[in-house]
Amino acid sequence: MTTFEVDPGRVRGLTGELRKLPAFVRRDFLVAWSYRMSFVSDIVNLVGQVIVFYFIGKMVDQTRLPTYGGSEVTYLEFAAVGIAVGVFIQFGLDRVSAAMRGEQMMGTLESILVTPTAPATIQLGSVAFDLVYIPLRTAAFLGGTTLAFGLHFSAGGILPALLLLLAFIPFVWGLGVLTAGMILTFRRGGGVVGLGAVALGLMSGVYFPLDLLPDWLTGVAEANPIALAIQGMRDSLLGGATVADVAPTIAVLVPVSAASLALGLFVFRLAVRRERRRGTIGLY
Amino acid sequence: MSAVSAPELAVVPEEQAPLGESPRPALEARGVVQRFGAKLVLDDVALAVAHGSIHALLGPNGAGKTTLLRIFAGLLVPTGGEIQVLGRDVGTSRAFRRRIGLVPSGDRSFYLRISGLENLAFFARLHGLRRRDAVRRSLELLEEVGLEGAARQPVGEYSHGMQKRLSVARALLTDPPILLVDEATHDLDPEGARRVRELVLQRADRGAAVVWATQRLDEIRGLADGVTLIAGGRTAFAGTVTELMAHAVPRRYLLRLRGGVAVRARGAARWSLEPVAGSDEHFLLELADGVVLGAALGALSRTGIEILTCREERSEIEEAFLSLTEAAG
Repeated sequence: MTTFEVDPGRVRGLTGELRKLPAFVRRDFLVAWSYRMSFVSDIVNLVGQVIVFYFIGKMVDQTRLPTYGGSEVTYLEFAAVGIAVGVFIQFGLDRVSAAMRGEQMMGTLESILVTPTAPATIQLGSVAFDLVYIPLRTAAFLGGTTLAFGLHFSAGGILPALLLLLAFIPFVWGLGVLTAGMILTFRRGGGVVGLGAVALGLMSGVYFPLDLLPDWLTGVAEANPIALAIQGMRDSLLGGATVADVAPTIAVLVPVSAASLALGLFVFRLAVRRERRRGTIGLY
Repeated sequence: MSAVSAPELAVVPEEQAPLGESPRPALEARGVVQRFGAKLVLDDVALAVAHGSIHALLGPNGAGKTTLLRIFAGLLVPTGGEIQVLGRDVGTSRAFRRRIGLVPSGDRSFYLRISGLENLAFFARLHGLRRRDAVRRSLELLEEVGLEGAARQPVGEYSHGMQKRLSVARALLTDPPILLVDEATHDLDPEGARRVRELVLQRADRGAAVVWATQRLDEIRGLADGVTLIAGGRTAFAGTVTELMAHAVPRRYLLRLRGGVAVRARGAARWSLEPVAGSDEHFLLELADGVVLGAALGALSRTGIEILTCREERSEIEEAFLSLTEAAG
């Protein structure tokens, strides 16, 4: 019989829970690697998307675009930042809940719930691989488009952009966890949250400046945390804004993100408890 | 941090006391009630499993066996009743799950795109093992269940029986003191089923309390120490296998008679003998109410029919099962 070491505090403690995350990352990497073609098609899609925006950019009147740090930007530069942030939005609103739904469909959710693993760890673990993969993919995307199309990004804006991203990810992640909780409860109830997501996306300025929206919507859109994050990212990467410049935006995003994540985890926990009472965790 | 062997991981010394000496059952359920909406699935079910024993959970489809196992595993919170694992209330605590191994009845419980080894190592890490230990333990168990040759093969390529054995291996990752086995041998070939039963018996010999839910009635003979039969959500029987067999009231027997053709010619129906299709010598004897087997066989012998063999058409366990479940309505 093998002898192995077990820290008694591991099962309960936060450290013990965090140490389980690499297992999720490895599992999802192996699963993703088994679908090698999807890696390739993901890259091809990304390249295709950039090419489409390159040609759209040729039709766009550059003077209608906002200036950043006093400089004019091309539409592709404007859209590239939007697309990069949009990937994180998609991650939060789609992949977080899809991961949980996937576990449910595969029948593995119950197998995980039988282990001494906290629901929050399961939720975090199921997206841990994406949290590693998506930033790498985004960096590669921005680097690739910069080289291929001669875009101009401010190197000094990378740090503030990263800080903004760190402050922003929990917001969309919280929405995703909320959706996952709803999917656990209603199975296909993610549609309601999806509608909200579309509204948030529409008013985020990913693909077009917010001042193109009707006046009454512009006010609402400017309070949208996604729009705040994108604006801050553009200020940083296109306008060279410093950490001090984006600090007010970060100060708004941090509590909003914390509230979103707390609400999401609370709803998810409630959903798991409800399913345990009803005995329907494995049903899909 | 301390280095401990697998059995020590899950069983505290007091709980490893041999069967009969332990102060309390390893697993105890009292007055368990489970409702799903208006439907009452379990009604006042009680069960106690001692350390080192195997307790069979029998019942027809939909009787509530899987529901009860899911309650024990913490996947379902019962509407009412009390569940104690190793002397403590189950509640919603996560810590107790380390002490429970579950072999679910369904096939869908693994990541089909990754190997059996990676699947096991993943679940081992969720139980708190370090990666190196998780891999080592997984390899050890894959060998025990006879899957060492398929360790690096994607689970999607496993046969049904191989997935079942992998499921058993996963349940044994922490060598838990409580093992819940739901239809583990269902659909397995005889050799696969024997192997699974042996693994479970070994665990019981080492002190684990096992709840074994099954539809294969005859496999509990020589395997289970105790039996609970659930029918219609209620406990229809609780006792030992021998006591269960005492409930059998066999009425149908399979006879082998010399000169079967002659028996047919002399009118088998006269003695309530029903010829068995495809055989000249085999007949089914169904006893009428109030007739005992000896009297029926005596009457046949007296007419010159030579009885070569006589055995019950169904096993005593099957007879008892049918009799008790029918009585439960």
